[in-house]
Amino acid sequence: MFVARSIAADHRDLIHDVSFDFHGRRMATCSSDQSVKVWDKSENGDWHCTASWKTHSGSVWRVTWAHPEFGQVLASCSFDRTAAVWEEIVGESNDKLRGQSHWVKRTTLVDSRTSVTDVKFAPKHMGLMLATCSADGVVRIYEAPDVMNLSQWSLQHEISCKLSCSCISWNPSSSRAHSPMIAVGSDDNSPNILAKVQIYEYNENTRKYAKAEALMTVTDPVHDIAFAPNLGRSFHILAVATKDVRIFTLKPLRKELTSSGGLTKFEIHIVAQFDNHNSQVWRVSWNITGTVLASSGDDGCVRLWKANYMDNWKCTGILKGNGSPVNGSSQQGIFNASLGSANTSFQNSLNGSFAGRKQS
Amino acid sequence: MEKMARVTTALGGNTITGRTMFCHLDAPANAISVCRDAAQVVVAGRNIFKIYAIEEEQFVEKLNLRVGRKPSLNFSCADVVWHQMDENLLATAATNGVVVTWNLGKPSRNKQDQLFTEHKRTVNKVCFHPTEVYMLLSGSQDGYMKCFDLRKKDSVSTFSGQSESVRDVQFSIRDYFTFAATFENGNVQLWDIRRPDRYERMFTAHNGPVFCCDWHPEDRGWLATGGRDKMVKVWDMNTNRAKEIYCVQTIASVARVKWRPECKHHIATCSMMVDHNIYVWDVRRPFIPSAMFEEHKDVTTGIVWRHLHDPYFLLSGSKDSTLYQHIFKDASQPIDRANPEGLCYSLYGDLAFAAKESLISSDSNRKPYIGDRRHPIFFKRKLDPTEQFEYISSSSALSVFETDVESGSMDWFVRTAKQYVLAGRPLAELCDHNAAVAKELDRNQVAQTWTMLRIIYSSPGTVSSANLNHSMGKGSASLPLMNSFNLKDIQSGMGSESRLDRSKGESRPENILMDSSSTLINNDENEETEGSDVPADYLLGDVEGDEDELYMMDHENPHAEEQEYILPQEAFPLRHEIVDNPSALDHLQDKADSPHVSGNEAETVSLTPVESFSLISISHSLYENRLPPDFFSPIVRDMLLFYAEQGDVQMTVSVLIVLGDRIRKEIDEQTQEHWYTSYIDLLQRFQLWNISNEVIKLSTCRAINCLNQASTTLHINCTNCKRPMSNKGWICDRCRQCASMCAVCHHVVKGLFVWCQGCSHGGHLQHIMKWLESSSHCPAGCGHLCEYT
Repeated sequence: MFVARSIAADHRDLIHDVSFDFHGRRMATCSSDQSVKVWDKSENGDWHCTASWKTHSGSVWRVTWAHPEFGQVLASCSFDRTAAVWEEIVGESNDKLRGQSHWVKRTTLVDSRTSVTDVKFAPKHMGLMLATCSADGVVRIYEAPDVMNLSQWSLQHEISCKLSCSCISWNPSSSRAHSPMIAVGSDDNSPNILAKVQIYEYNENTRKYAKAEALMTVTDPVHDIAFAPNLGRSFHILAVATKDVRIFTLKPLRKELTSSGGLTKFEIHIVAQFDNHNSQVWRVSWNITGTVLASSGDDGCVRLWKANYMDNWKCTGILKGNGSPVNGSSQQGIFNASLGSANTSFQNSLNGSFAGRKQS
Repeated sequence: MEKMARVTTALGGNTITGRTMFCHLDAPANAISVCRDAAQVVVAGRNIFKIYAIEEEQFVEKLNLRVGRKPSLNFSCADVVWHQMDENLLATAATNGVVVTWNLGKPSRNKQDQLFTEHKRTVNKVCFHPTEVYMLLSGSQDGYMKCFDLRKKDSVSTFSGQSESVRDVQFSIRDYFTFAATFENGNVQLWDIRRPDRYERMFTAHNGPVFCCDWHPEDRGWLATGGRDKMVKVWDMNTNRAKEIYCVQTIASVARVKWRPECKHHIATCSMMVDHNIYVWDVRRPFIPSAMFEEHKDVTTGIVWRHLHDPYFLLSGSKDSTLYQHIFKDASQPIDRANPEGLCYSLYGDLAFAAKESLISSDSNRKPYIGDRRHPIFFKRKLDPTEQFEYISSSSALSVFETDVESGSMDWFVRTAKQYVLAGRPLAELCDHNAAVAKELDRNQVAQTWTMLRIIYSSPGTVSSANLNHSMGKGSASLPLMNSFNLKDIQSGMGSESRLDRSKGESRPENILMDSSSTLINNDENEETEGSDVPADYLLGDVEGDEDELYMMDHENPHAEEQEYILPQEAFPLRHEIVDNPSALDHLQDKADSPHVSGNEAETVSLTPVESFSLISISHSLYENRLPPDFFSPIVRDMLLFYAEQGDVQMTVSVLIVLGDRIRKEIDEQTQEHWYTSYIDLLQRFQLWNISNEVIKLSTCRAINCLNQASTTLHINCTNCKRPMSNKGWICDRCRQCASMCAVCHHVVKGLFVWCQGCSHGGHLQHIMKWLESSSHCPAGCGHLCEYT
């Protein structure tokens, strides 16, 4: 199903984040060795490192691409309490010949007084905006008013989350019916039962972000959070990496009911919860259509989750970090377990033939 | 504070216990120093000079050395040091350039002992000789270092660095005669105390001032230096040229460095500005501190390990007027919060995965490194401290999992987008074409939907079976054919026993279909036996087919279910007037006599059983109820919503465009716009610009339609006179010639015109591409080296 292609990353410390660009042709990695590397995919599918440079004076936690409409732009955030915006310079013929590209720092965002743990560009339709969150529990939203000038960013909003933040995710929906929304996860591990996932929504009337929801059921440290690509759905899907993988759906309730308050109310359902990693889950990532979720945990495996037609999420694949597939994983995901008893035998026969074919 | 447990360290009879604690000082501290017995600490600053006893639970003030009603500047200290041999002897560096010694053994209140007023400017540092009781060294802003014998009134020797101000002086711990001095210009000098005329050695250690240095307590050759360039460097001084062996990058300029006792590779640092934390680094892992103390609210000015041989207690003074005792157990460890993995899904379904090598090593039995995040390694006391911090190899493995075409890849999306025809032909043809496209990609549910749309919205008479066959023939024809034979068998009662059984029992097939959602078929008497049976049979047929079709089953059922789930809505009144082709009704009536004929003979040949099933049942109902196409609008609307919720916005938008006005009014503008923007965004991700533009053009939403009309300006120059052309067309108003001539074939270009922005010459895309393969010069012969990006 998957072919693993190992890449000699040559980072001198842990890699903390990997990020594909909008078109899936480029990849950026960031590491504790304070550098960011950019990888370009060649015609034959190999990944070549075309740039590697020191970005921060501390561990670089996250790297993320801006929409290409704004140029080849990266943002990184670091333990050194800053976030930075980088742009690729074209036309440097000397570098081009060596197959290297040149990246220059356009701005440094220095508002945080603690480690900046995540940085994410807002969906394109909102303009050139980015959000950062930091260990002291502040989410900051910056905007570049002039998209041609990447060195001018103004701090638009500061949201205090009270809890040390570890990750953020923008709601990618481009619908006018959905106001800008950001989910924040906290890795606060003090023994309290505060909700570790908070959702903030932009209120047109007050022009501020206000807390719309808190996922009260998530009380363990959250390491990653990701909204699924929306693609015309009326509701939102949110994946949370905590001690297990959780998938929530957020259905906005009708506007008429909530227009008085200004904030949208959501009907929140947990649709899946998996502890198959048997340990901390570190990362979650959605495929482009928001139908498959990949998660990775302390067990060193990547697991793929997919919903069947009954909206039952099942594991459809396990990938070992070194590329070897784990056996016996993909079968159960295909069939719906809740089919009635009337056709159990039928289903068995199906299973049988299926398994038989697997072996052959 | 409950979590801050008490820690006890046994040090050869001398026991240190304590917890993380602090006390408020009256004024900001500039420096601190501990007594040899680790029981007292002196804090010095511009307005403070006090000795505190370090007790188990708290600091207790023992002595205030600032006495007198109007303290002189001599009390204002830049640095303080407590003699490690004589616990009554202290020295301070006063901000007015005086070096003062203090004798705690004095009976009077004023403990001031000796004054050396030899430096002309502030003294930055004082340092006692580690083994010689009477020898004191000072380094000053004036660029001189002086060595004092406390038994004499004046300095015994003066060392001129002959560079800038001295920031730090430190006697070597092992070499009796050697000391190191650091300078504001980035240099480090090594001196022999016996040779005041000239330094032994000098090297440039940092970019900018070197604020501090510290000799390694065990390894005689190692000197650590910290500078404004935010670096901590470890130098091996044993060789002829000082060799940099480690370099730690911190996040702010380094004010103090102190080797951690008993841990060869650990060093504590604090910063001069911005950063208030104290970090302990393992120099072998120079990027991320192994421990961090975050208690101070302002710049930390002094750090000192409480005992020479105890690695767990650290004292610090700060500008925030507090004195802290830090315990290692309470330190935060940034690496524990650091994410050891990175994961990202690419557009094409590839997965990039980076993980700490120890997590993914195939040897799962290997013991994880003992410093696991839940068990801080510092407190496994049985181990020797130096062993505890065994170097952890910390690297990640990066790999990309590439999907093949059959599974997770998005190939289907691209191919579908390219092959779908959305406009320009009769509806039935569009539907058939798109159904064929979907079929070819094994997306049977989608294909079926297209077919049903054709049946719903176009009159059956307009579709020739030949057309159908043609389009279906492109797909994998064998399987549908086989299935449709199965279907016929059943219908004629020639199937296997079990099949027959099922097709005869009225209730059982319903169970099969509807168990998962028992409310679905409720009162639908129209549902024929064979109709409900076929999906089950279809499943069987599917198993015989290729593996991927199993997936299809997942999609298939909800769809069937969806369709039927919707049926009860018939009861609701129609929202809209019937607007389009009433002729369809006539056709239906005409054809109504023989729906089965057309269903079975002409069309099932090329359709999957489910298709024919739905075909039969729907045409059946059409026949029975004579329903207008608008009757299906709610169903179709829900079908669109269904696809959108399933993440297949491509289908939603394609159907929306193909059906156009037939369905548009059923869906509110905002939702449509959302679908369009989502689909366009997806197309652009896949760099399918032409298709995205086509979708924009075909969309009926105003907000979408204007997308490709905004900020699209072409700047063109006339190929003859090279002047900018007006926007009126391709005729240059100066030279009255057509500007859009192809430089290769000399014909007027209609369609895609490409030109070099340097010389304005260009032509047919194909021609220019061909030309550029052989030559990089302009085809017009102007000599320009054309550049196309």
